[in-house]
Amino acid sequence: MPNHRIKDIEIELLLLALKERWGYDFTGYARASLKRRMESLIEHSGMDCLSRLLPSVLYDVEAAQTAIDAISVPTSDFFRDPPVWRYIRHTLAEQLNSFPLINIWQVGCGHGQETYSLAILLHEIGLHKKARIVTTDINNAFLNHSKIGCWPKRNLEAWTQNYQLSGGQGDFNAYFDLDDDFLYIKDEFKTTIEFVQHNLALDNAFLETQFIICRNVLIYFGENLQKRVFEVFQESLERGGFLLLGRAESRPEDLVTIQLEEYEQTLRFYRKAIRGHYV
Amino acid sequence: MSKLLAIGFSAGGIPLTQTLLNALAPAYPLPIVVITHLPNYYDSGLIDLFNRVVALPVSMAFDKEPIHSGHVYFAPPDYHLLIERPGYFALSHDARVKAVRPSIDVFLKSAAEIYEKDLLAVILSGANSDGADGMATVKSLGGVTIVLDPLQTDFRTMPAAVLDAVDVDYVASLDDITALLQSVQES
Ligand SMILES: C[S@@+](CC[C@H](N)C(=O)[O-])C[C@H]1O[C@@H](n2cnc3c(N)ncnc32)[C@H](O)[C@@H]1O
Repeated sequence: MPNHRIKDIEIELLLLALKERWGYDFTGYARASLKRRMESLIEHSGMDCLSRLLPSVLYDVEAAQTAIDAISVPTSDFFRDPPVWRYIRHTLAEQLNSFPLINIWQVGCGHGQETYSLAILLHEIGLHKKARIVTTDINNAFLNHSKIGCWPKRNLEAWTQNYQLSGGQGDFNAYFDLDDDFLYIKDEFKTTIEFVQHNLALDNAFLETQFIICRNVLIYFGENLQKRVFEVFQESLERGGFLLLGRAESRPEDLVTIQLEEYEQTLRFYRKAIRGHYV
Repeated sequence: MSKLLAIGFSAGGIPLTQTLLNALAPAYPLPIVVITHLPNYYDSGLIDLFNRVVALPVSMAFDKEPIHSGHVYFAPPDYHLLIERPGYFALSHDARVKAVRPSIDVFLKSAAEIYEKDLLAVILSGANSDGADGMATVKSLGGVTIVLDPLQTDFRTMPAAVLDAVDVDYVASLDDITALLQSVQES
């Protein structure tokens, strides 16, 4: 048996350990990218294979946490995919404003760049008083990081460019306090945001929403888990509410019970049917 | 019998890839996956351009999409493309590898681990060494490795890096690569 297939077995063993011992169920995650992340976990641990990590993952909470952290990826950017933000700014905002109240669920906060992009945009279009942002993540460390709202300065130029391409007319830098190495989001953008731990693999809808943003989270899930998540979103969304996915993500093809219709296909906006058959 | 054809390139590879794909049209028995790290081309019309000049259908791969023969899939910019299981893509937004995303190395390794000897991998041209590690994995799992002769391109760093790292099956001109890939069609 080639080595890489032995690694596949080791990954299943580790997932079983995290699930049965610590209650973290990653068994529904897509294996291809998980395998890559497990390989870097092994590299960082200085071991030569995953099964040598198993005893400490089973008995030592810190080793388990390291493995759990290695599974979630916080990569994010401000105003990533500018055309999507441009669309929210110029087209979707009006639709959202027609709801009497706007609950926005932003799923998978990473280090918060997407969350504050949204807060900035709502501010600029004057919806910040009416809209409430609830951001969730499985990883508490990421939620805390996002709450603080601080990032290394090295990406500032790219983020400013994204902001401008997304139709932003203001001074992007003015939304932050800067020191030599970091930018800190100004406090006024934090007040509209709630940070809540929520695991898409386990937890249910907890809020009625008018807009759900879930980008670059579903790619880490296998097909069954993706379907579960769509059911959670469908339940959470008010009729006529919107769902935004990442630009390379889509609704699972064979989901017959789902009333989420394509709304803007290239940018991946979906909408929950305004009328529909109740079963 | 091969099940998937992967083509990796960076700088200088667009015209080469067009020529190659045209020679394989109008019907090719394998799915063709193109991995390139040109600047963000979501909105730059690269897919449209390829659709205009190539007779095979061309699209951007998306997450968990089923893979069809005779179709050309481009790795979406700013994501790593992977094979989830035979016949299905997956994406990830993990860190860049050798400063690029998508990474040819990442795709080739993932595809090689799924398809093993049934993978056909081609590296054309480019100004960095992405692809060399991936080709090593393809070779070690029994897949077929083909590299454009570095003398045939101005951007030889990428094919040269592969040749440094791997004892590839073929080092060939574009015409010979075309003939090799066409022979899949006939067999
Ligand atoms: C790549 S980041 C995406 C950040 C942001 N949405 C963006 O697109 O810029 C993926 C996020 O999903 C979170 N995540 C992974 N599994 C999750 C789960 N089961 N439930 C909730 N969040 C999860 C990770 O912790 C991580 O913060």
